[in-house]
Amino acid sequence: MDRVERLTNLLLVLLDTERPLTLQQVIHTVEGYPPGRDAYRQAFERDKRLLREQGIVITVETVDGEAGYRIRPEDYYLPDLGLSEEEQSALNLAVAGVRIDGRSAEEAVWKLGAVPTAATVLADLPSLPALPALHEAMRSHRTVSFEHRGQRRTLDPYGLLFRFGSWYVVGMDHDRAALRSFRVDRITGAPTPVEGATFAPPGDFDPSTAMPEDPWRIGEGEGVAARVLVDAFHANLVAAELGAEAVVERRPDGSAVFELTVVNPGAFRTWVLGLLDHAVVLAPEDLRRAVVDWLEPLAAR
Amino acid sequence: MSGPTPTVEARLRRLLAVLGWLSRRKGASIADIALRFGMSEDEVVAELELAACCGLPPYTPDQLMEVLVDDQRVEANLGADLARPRRLSGAEGFAVAASARAILAVPGADPDGALARALDKLESALGEHRKVTVDLDEPPLLAEVRRAVEGHRQLRISYYSASRDEVTDRVVDPLAVFSSGGRWYLDAHCHRAGGLRHFRVDRIESAHPTGETFEAPAPRAVPTEVFEPGPDVRVATILLPASAASVTDSYPVRSMTTAGDGRVRVEVAVGGEAWLARLLLVAGEGAEVVSPPELTGVGPRAAAAVLARYR
Repeated sequence: MDRVERLTNLLLVLLDTERPLTLQQVIHTVEGYPPGRDAYRQAFERDKRLLREQGIVITVETVDGEAGYRIRPEDYYLPDLGLSEEEQSALNLAVAGVRIDGRSAEEAVWKLGAVPTAATVLADLPSLPALPALHEAMRSHRTVSFEHRGQRRTLDPYGLLFRFGSWYVVGMDHDRAALRSFRVDRITGAPTPVEGATFAPPGDFDPSTAMPEDPWRIGEGEGVAARVLVDAFHANLVAAELGAEAVVERRPDGSAVFELTVVNPGAFRTWVLGLLDHAVVLAPEDLRRAVVDWLEPLAAR
Repeated sequence: MSGPTPTVEARLRRLLAVLGWLSRRKGASIADIALRFGMSEDEVVAELELAACCGLPPYTPDQLMEVLVDDQRVEANLGADLARPRRLSGAEGFAVAASARAILAVPGADPDGALARALDKLESALGEHRKVTVDLDEPPLLAEVRRAVEGHRQLRISYYSASRDEVTDRVVDPLAVFSSGGRWYLDAHCHRAGGLRHFRVDRIESAHPTGETFEAPAPRAVPTEVFEPGPDVRVATILLPASAASVTDSYPVRSMTTAGDGRVRVEVAVGGEAWLARLLLVAGEGAEVVSPPELTGVGPRAAAAVLARYR
């Protein structure tokens, strides 16, 4: 007998039963198990493992001193989402329009009761091995521990944010007792739940406001106002990036002076150097000096 | 379509999906099912004939799944339960929520539309609410460029090429706009280059319709890697201070090893000298090009040029 047939029957039987079924009852009810106690026990164990690997929850309860198995409908089905046809098809289109982790998104749409639609891919998001574990921890309000840039971190994950082309996990850092964000692609290994540690997420948490929009604003403290002169060549692109309100002076030659709040000098330096010799830090003196000190050893080579 | 033989796991998932779908529509053509679920027609017939033998004890006809397969169509009368949406695994829930958030982040998306409502319902069922956020940037000319793609309208653009550090004017036929790694790109046929090019939308300084339209070719999939080395791309070996190794996250690195002095040695495909200069300046002290010889001066020259602005 084809194993898929046996598995389908096993699934239907475990889902249909109101009382947990013992191994003996399963073997007698579902066709296709081999004779011989060791053989059918092993075959059943393999089937059970396969179903569990598919994310199907098989509950084990004791029946007359023996283990009994069933699949509780509330574990198998989603509560009715009550999606209108329009909402369902919008969701399908969204999944088809984003490439993130091909297979799991496609099968998720299957499970929601629809079929992927052919659509032009509009956005491409990186998929990282640590993301599902972090998402699961966030959903189940479990504290996680992970290795980030060589340091062990313990975090209550409140949210996941995609910004500047990277995924960040935002939450309460236990060691620093403060809200922190970590780049997910800098996490090595799998995040693991901390045994028995759960948390109550803040009700009004919004990951997008918990993290500043510009890299040079991420960090500790108030920050300083920095002024940068940008050549005409780049002034329009920089104005588009920072917003017109960042322009504090337009010069006749087309160049412009921008004001930025800098909390993270390293990120600020990276941004300024990205403009090569089309930009120069005007103030404050220590940020200006830092750029010069950074470049002098490179120029001396 | 026939690929490698699918695993038992994959077949089971697919069969449950097909049955769920069929249970809501009672019947479908075999060709339609094959297309939707990426199976051959023979596979559809074999799997559904198998399903027709599945059901509940005592496996009398009234307890088996009612699936009738003829040579073209499948008729099915399945219980309502099979039609119910199933619980998502962590990875699946994440993928759906992130996808929907990404589409909602596309400028112009309706924040109160059908997708937003669907996502609200899904997130409530998953026990989370607005905890996954996707920010896609919104360069000023994005709307203009998207309109040109939709209307097959040719554009004259002024484009800043970061790898060459120059602005050029070119006429392009805009084919597609997409977001990759958080940046918006325009796929276009470039008349100046005589071929398909990717343009970063935030580096387009101006865009004006030429008044011409063009015939749109068949849609094409998003390229897996946006960085497409052109004919002038060279491979360089560079040394970087260990503290700057993460700089390479955003560059097309071919190999990375540790050098004897604690620095890292990386091989990168160099898109242009300005591009290489930026990588070296950001990496800081200890960053240098080992080969090819004609690129070893790029870092010192670029550093000196920037320093000249400070004197």
